[in-house]
Amino acid sequence: MKHLFILLFPFITHGSYASPNCEAYKLYGEMSKYEACKRAEESFKYYQFTREYQEILDDALEIDSTYAYAYQAKGYAYLKSGDFLTWEKLMGKAVELEPASYLGYRGWCRYQFFRDYKGAIEDIERLESLVNGDIGFGQNGDYHLKIALALCYKALGNKTKAIEIIESQLAKEDHFIGLYDYLHLGILYLETNQFEKAMEAFEFQEKENTLAENEFYWALTWKEKGDYEKYSQHLEKSLSLYEKGRHMFDPYTHQMDRIFLSDIEAERNND
Amino acid sequence: MKIHFEYILLCFLVLGAISCKTEQKAQVSQGYLRMIGDILPDTSLDDPEFLTCNGDDRVIQYFNTLEGFRYTGEKSSFVAEIKKFYKPIENAEGQSGYLRIRFIVNCKGETGRFRVLSSDLNYQEKEFDSAIVNQLLEVVKSLNGWQPLSHEGKPLDYYQYVIFKIEKGNISEILP
Repeated sequence: MKHLFILLFPFITHGSYASPNCEAYKLYGEMSKYEACKRAEESFKYYQFTREYQEILDDALEIDSTYAYAYQAKGYAYLKSGDFLTWEKLMGKAVELEPASYLGYRGWCRYQFFRDYKGAIEDIERLESLVNGDIGFGQNGDYHLKIALALCYKALGNKTKAIEIIESQLAKEDHFIGLYDYLHLGILYLETNQFEKAMEAFEFQEKENTLAENEFYWALTWKEKGDYEKYSQHLEKSLSLYEKGRHMFDPYTHQMDRIFLSDIEAERNND
Repeated sequence: MKIHFEYILLCFLVLGAISCKTEQKAQVSQGYLRMIGDILPDTSLDDPEFLTCNGDDRVIQYFNTLEGFRYTGEKSSFVAEIKKFYKPIENAEGQSGYLRIRFIVNCKGETGRFRVLSSDLNYQEKEFDSAIVNQLLEVVKSLNGWQPLSHEGKPLDYYQYVIFKIEKGNISEILP
């Protein structure tokens, strides 16, 4: 079931961040938002970067300047082209209008696109204070927001807190395992000299989603333990997986803890 | 679903590149260009010899082919080249924020039309010391490992960006 969720999640999250159901506005008598929403729906025919897409959303905001979704949707192209100035202004408006709906998205993007760890922590923790229950996943569905939060703490040097957050999240019965959860946890254990725990995490990650990165850090753990035969075996497996394209991948950005072919080769040359 | 849409767009653009080569200029209407982030040529800034292969209105985004960052030796090579070149300036206490350099990679892997955007760490517009900006521009302009993108054998031009997160004059992150 958890694996099925991983496959479906990108579609579910897209829906959850998509334009709200226009009919709901009508039902609650918010007619200007209803009209804005109906106009915004017409943008779906166009690519996010196009003039037409932007102009339709401008129309929606002219109908109702408090229609938060239109600010977020206008921001997609600015985010993906690295225009942090315009994107942040647009998301600032969306968050101001509907914080519980947009803090998670902004926090995720601040982390993944700009490595703004402090800003992401601020957003995700504020979201936690506003909602009851699960805070959900990042936009691409690969990470639960709690895992992203932990990685931000790691980046700021607080590895103990990062481990605590991930352990606590993974212990929840309703946590759907993300693509890289145990890999990141294993690396955190390795970096804090908890080698047995690191290997348990890598073993778990291998079963969930085998990756060149997992084998690479697993190799480094064996190296720390002084077992050079196992170190070499895992390094060769890492190389083999990398050559088959089984490594972390995101079409827009690079994830934390991503390795490259040169990392494996450098390690092999030092073997 | 969004990624799938990016792919559909790519097909659309490639077909356009084959059938509509005559239209060379990006269209401008009511403040928006053809696409968000389009970079128009500027004779005061740009190398006149740099040309797009398929026309300015057929330039795609680097992620549209779903191949990710395309640099020979991958991101690690690109980062190593920048770090080898960049020298932090003295008295850099106030030099923190984001600096983006965006440009076009043409179908031959050549680069041009470099543009700079910068902010502080709270995303408020700011200018960095020119010694920082000039170094980063110079190194990005000198990088020659960009790989052309293609679709069904058709070589494509694309927009690429590099963001530097700078803290007290030191590069702390290179994105994407």
